[in-house]
Amino acid sequence: MIFLISRTISIIVRMKKTRIKYLTKFLKFFGLLIIIVLIVRTYNGSSAQIDYNADVKPILNQHCISCHGGVKQSNGFSLLSRTDALAPTDSGKPAIIPGLPDSSEFIHRILSNDPDERMPYEKEALSGEEIGILKKWVKQGAEWGIHWAYRPVQNPLGASNDISMMSAGAVSPDVDQSFIDDYVLQKLKSVGLSMNPEASRPELLRRVSYDLTGIPASDDLVKRFVVDQSIGFEEVVNELLNNQSYGEKWASMWLDIARYADSKGFERDQNRSIWAYRDYVIRSLNSDLPYDQFIIEQIAGDLLDHPTDDQLIATGFHRNTTTNDEGGTDNEEFRIKAVMDRVNTTWEGLLGTTMACVQCHGHPYDPFPHETYYQSFAFLNNTRDADTHPDYPRLNFLDSSSQKKLKELTNWVAEQTTSEKADEIEQFVKVVQPVIYSLEMDDFDNSELYDTKYLGLRKNGWARIPHVDLEEKTVLLIRGVGSRTGGQLSLHLDGPGGLVIGTKNIPKTKGYHIIEIPLAETEGTHDIYVHYKNSSLESRDIPGLMIDWLYFTSAFPGANKQGHRRNKDFFYELISRHHDHTLIMTENPPERQRKTHVFDRGNWLIKSLEVQPNVPKVLPQIETKNQVPRLAFAEWIADEGNPLTARTFVNRIWEQLFGRGIALTTEDLGSQGSPPSHLELLDHLSYFWMHDQDWSIKELLKAIILSKTYRQSSYISENALIKDPDNIFLSRGPRVRLSAEQVRDQALSISGLLSTKMYGPPVMPFQPEDVWQTPYNAQKWSMSPGEDQYRRAIYTMMKRSSLYPSMETFDLSGRQVCVSRRIRTNTPLQALVTLNDPVFVEASEHLAKKMMEEGGKDISDQIAFAYCQGMHKEISPGKLDIMINLFKTTMNELQSENDSELSLNRELAMTTVANAILNLDEFLNK
Amino acid sequence: MKKDEVGKGLFNEYRLRMGRLNSRRVFLQQCGLSLGTLALSTILPGGCVPANDINSNRSQPNSLNPLDPRNAHFAARAKSVIYLHMAGAPSQFEMFDYKPVLNELHGKECPPSLLEGKRFAFIRGTPKMLGSQSRFKQYGESGAWVSEHLPHFTQIVDDVTFLRGMYTDQFNHAPAQLMMHTGSAQLGRPSLGSWVTYGLGSENQNLPGFVVLTSGGVNPDAGKQVWGSGFLPSVYQGVQCRSKGDPVLYLGNPDGISRDVRRKAIDAINSVNKMTYEEFNDPETVARIAQYEMAFRMQVSVPEVMDISKEPDYIKDLYGVRPGKESFANNALLARKLVENGVRFVQLFDWGWDTHGVGKDTALEIGHINKCRDTDKAITALILDLKQRGLLEETLVIWGGEFGRTPMQENRNGVDQIYTGRDHHPDAFTIWMAGGGIKRGYSHGATDEIGYEIVSGKTSIHDLHATILNQLGFDHEQFTHQFQGRPFRLTDVEGEVIKDILA
Repeated sequence: MIFLISRTISIIVRMKKTRIKYLTKFLKFFGLLIIIVLIVRTYNGSSAQIDYNADVKPILNQHCISCHGGVKQSNGFSLLSRTDALAPTDSGKPAIIPGLPDSSEFIHRILSNDPDERMPYEKEALSGEEIGILKKWVKQGAEWGIHWAYRPVQNPLGASNDISMMSAGAVSPDVDQSFIDDYVLQKLKSVGLSMNPEASRPELLRRVSYDLTGIPASDDLVKRFVVDQSIGFEEVVNELLNNQSYGEKWASMWLDIARYADSKGFERDQNRSIWAYRDYVIRSLNSDLPYDQFIIEQIAGDLLDHPTDDQLIATGFHRNTTTNDEGGTDNEEFRIKAVMDRVNTTWEGLLGTTMACVQCHGHPYDPFPHETYYQSFAFLNNTRDADTHPDYPRLNFLDSSSQKKLKELTNWVAEQTTSEKADEIEQFVKVVQPVIYSLEMDDFDNSELYDTKYLGLRKNGWARIPHVDLEEKTVLLIRGVGSRTGGQLSLHLDGPGGLVIGTKNIPKTKGYHIIEIPLAETEGTHDIYVHYKNSSLESRDIPGLMIDWLYFTSAFPGANKQGHRRNKDFFYELISRHHDHTLIMTENPPERQRKTHVFDRGNWLIKSLEVQPNVPKVLPQIETKNQVPRLAFAEWIADEGNPLTARTFVNRIWEQLFGRGIALTTEDLGSQGSPPSHLELLDHLSYFWMHDQDWSIKELLKAIILSKTYRQSSYISENALIKDPDNIFLSRGPRVRLSAEQVRDQALSISGLLSTKMYGPPVMPFQPEDVWQTPYNAQKWSMSPGEDQYRRAIYTMMKRSSLYPSMETFDLSGRQVCVSRRIRTNTPLQALVTLNDPVFVEASEHLAKKMMEEGGKDISDQIAFAYCQGMHKEISPGKLDIMINLFKTTMNELQSENDSELSLNRELAMTTVANAILNLDEFLNK
Repeated sequence: MKKDEVGKGLFNEYRLRMGRLNSRRVFLQQCGLSLGTLALSTILPGGCVPANDINSNRSQPNSLNPLDPRNAHFAARAKSVIYLHMAGAPSQFEMFDYKPVLNELHGKECPPSLLEGKRFAFIRGTPKMLGSQSRFKQYGESGAWVSEHLPHFTQIVDDVTFLRGMYTDQFNHAPAQLMMHTGSAQLGRPSLGSWVTYGLGSENQNLPGFVVLTSGGVNPDAGKQVWGSGFLPSVYQGVQCRSKGDPVLYLGNPDGISRDVRRKAIDAINSVNKMTYEEFNDPETVARIAQYEMAFRMQVSVPEVMDISKEPDYIKDLYGVRPGKESFANNALLARKLVENGVRFVQLFDWGWDTHGVGKDTALEIGHINKCRDTDKAITALILDLKQRGLLEETLVIWGGEFGRTPMQENRNGVDQIYTGRDHHPDAFTIWMAGGGIKRGYSHGATDEIGYEIVSGKTSIHDLHATILNQLGFDHEQFTHQFQGRPFRLTDVEGEVIKDILA
């Protein structure tokens, strides 16, 4: 308590812009207080309050919970929550009686000498200290504490001093972030370490350039910051944050979480067009879209009021799930897999909580009962995607001629009817929803879902579309292909021989077109039987009509008006033809709402209890405000009161900058994740970010980067190597290997090959032959022309079943599922990539030319020039000698008989040197 | 720029000129660490092994090399594994599971009781029963029934254990292959080979620890995920060795760069890195120095081991290899060479076993027979060759697909087919294992008279994995990796070692 007060005071002092010396005084004062507190605590040892999270939970998790937790409840006893633990067990009596350890079976069993009774069963007994803690805990009432990550993010200044209120007027936006260093220094002191001095300007510049833009600093920036020292570090940070490369760098992290890829994932793993989502992420980062808004748009952008195209594109976040085009699949099975992946990704990626295990049973360690998984599932279970082959729903990008037609069409409709109707038509052309997919058919006779994708109707065949709302529906539009002339389609109500509500002759067509069938007026919701006849079909076994989707709607407006035919044709053409597109989310219409059930042990074929959308009890409750539940869920995640959202993201940012999160397990802040090394820092930053920085990612980055903690030199002292080998206590600046993307981008950038072109479809740089060998898929890796060869790595075609090999070797993740962090490795195959991959050889060649053209006359100047391109500083004489020597010995190896050969050999030897430079440990680390 | 010109302009020019000069300056130089010895063992573990790893009760060696050999939980029966996966799921009825009753039922309509509650990939309505399309005879002391299409295999029936009661819960190829190789139908889990190399490291640091070889023209349906490392560090993922170009991607120096120049370049890199190490004291720098040395050695050792042309003729004949081509026989011989050289896990995938009967290639009477012919000799040779070298005892060989096939004729889209073929069947299939402490000439489990349901010795994929790990010295329940807040294992929460088949 005193602890908190003293720090609060120190922070208030700082906030009021008092100088650091006061802080030092306070820190001294507060060091003294720690000692007092410790003494008091020791003296009152026997009566001190037991802390459930710090003292009890680790014992329970280690020794008890595997048999008495969320998965198993041996003898009817579970320690997962207080309610569970105080409930009667199989014996009929509760095992814990709060306040009475001596009467509690729980304590009796851990003390017992009888091996049949003693717990943990057939394992080593608990230590005396552990037993003491548990006894005291029961005596004190056996209270369950809330795990740190589920507690609200508190105002570090206390309730009366709201930072946001303070900053609203008086305080400048450049809020002092030295509190970061306060926490770090405090911790370092406690373990007998200190901070390293500030890194040199070149080291700092390289670090911050890679951290903010993913590529080395420009010559100009090197000149101003390192050579002339005409600008300060903050200016560097500001410039880099405003650089367009910033979004390209930080998108990598987010695309890992979003498991973004350019292919569908399973078997055929065909290409998927969803790069517009990748571009949305880059754009949003560059425009510094506040994180709360960023989240809402991605989870529920389609449900916002009059969503913009960008807000629709954002929903691609959860359309990055894998789909299975393999023949013979159960589409519902893979739709469910996709929804499960969305649940897992939402929780892991945005909320730092591993939910995947709750799919099959209650969480073994954290307060998430089995049904919470399906309550989350229910939020996401009513979208229109359904493992369809074309990956519907999509947002169409119309080419200019289609746009012209659409314009004419909507103008005409607006003239004939209303502008609302015109909007509706426009919306339908762009999104083509809500249609019914052929794979929603559920009963067949001499018809079949061909390749389990498209309905094929054969001679006298029919298929049933369940549960169609026919109120005010006067026409059915079918997107289909007629393969034979002389077909006839009839629509029957509630049975294959039921009342006919529409008929149509089906001709042979060239590819997909729209079949329009007028409908008899019908009330209510019915099953519709689609019946196909064709006497010209010679065999029962050949389909005469293939159907993609069906749309029950009202007739195209303006019948009998001039231009009706022409505009209706435009409309049908626009909705039947293929457009460039991206995948988006749309919500099911009312008659297509799915119910959500708990799946018994995660098996979707065995449904038990029905559940409603809801959030776990341990977290703030959700207000649905008559919204679509998915939107309410998005807003709940992005609410400042959500204890997980900011902590999760701040921890991720920290991990990106320091190579390790404040809590190592960025994917799981639950009780089984690693405990945070600096919890108060994480909380303070999280609060500060939400309330003072209004979720601005750039401001958060800036605050951390300007701290002394970040600016330390990365030298590892002997003391630190022993006490802090993993830099948990932050006794030095970060030094970690560059990411897969950065390794490539660096080589292209330093050699001058890197293209600055942004956005657009994925590109295919050089890749060795025959790397793609996907079954049933003729798509080839065909090298992109021109500068597309040399784009930033983020734009490289990402095929899930066959990653770009050189980046895979540098730990690029497969993005099958949400990837919270990449595990860095250090392998001989990486050496082979940077030494021999033709992309790196080509970059070395270009770098060598650049060295000889721009580096100066002497070999040594040229080498120094290349080194400086990456390291932003002079090469040391020792290193220079080694490289000069490499040049000379390579020259000796190469034969030359005349001047032209000599010149070629010089280039070749310089290429060898350039390649060696790109392979230096310094170049492979940030 | 054309594809084959990328990064080669200058070097190509040089190579051409060297050709003109008829120079033979390229020579190989085998050399070890040319730098002063760096005390690797005194340095703390690097970033390769995640810090929160609670990998069972065994101690990780204090090493920067994640592939250093390590001990398992108990003494192992097998040192290495060769897994022969027949992608597409071969039909047990035309290979090993002899069902005379099914032959009698041939052509009859399938009774509804067999169809109730079942999900099929392609069978619709009422299919017809399909008798075996091969003749069977008994062989060896064990009297195992073997199809006429596997004439070579008959020589090794007494070396293998058949598992006739295998089942899975997936009936589509990609998820079923994932299940078979990662223990989960979901994407993102480490493969069997990754687990094994993660647990045991590798015996030969100049070769990858986990090698993948493919034949049949394409990769397996589940893609490279079936040899991926999932949430384990990527150093444990399978390295695909190729039959064309560099056996391992980027292994060869650019044309015109001699091994001598490469040596000097690596010396220069590592000398500078040594200075960097002095500047920053970062153990990862030392690891990187060692990795560059290893890469240099791999440049020789990998092409050497991947070169089958130097094998004696009788070995080439034994396997029926086709040097220079992508062939299963080549891969089988390579598998032997690789384990002989200390590679821990060799995974073969042979594509083309999906015998639906929708065309010639997938017809039991054509395509299937061809697949048998393409693999039978080489598989037999592999077992015989391992045996004659005394390697079979310590090498566990596994053969099988990802599920079985139906005793019914497929009727895709509810239409009769011209060729004979069978649909996917997850409820019963046959695999076999040999060597590595597995019984010889044994058969475990049985199916009913029509090979539709298992009647004894029901074996799940988790059981199979538990058994493989057991032979390698692991208690599968203790062999875990902490991820997403919980310990993950290959066998999830199931699996029992199949004690009956252990020698």
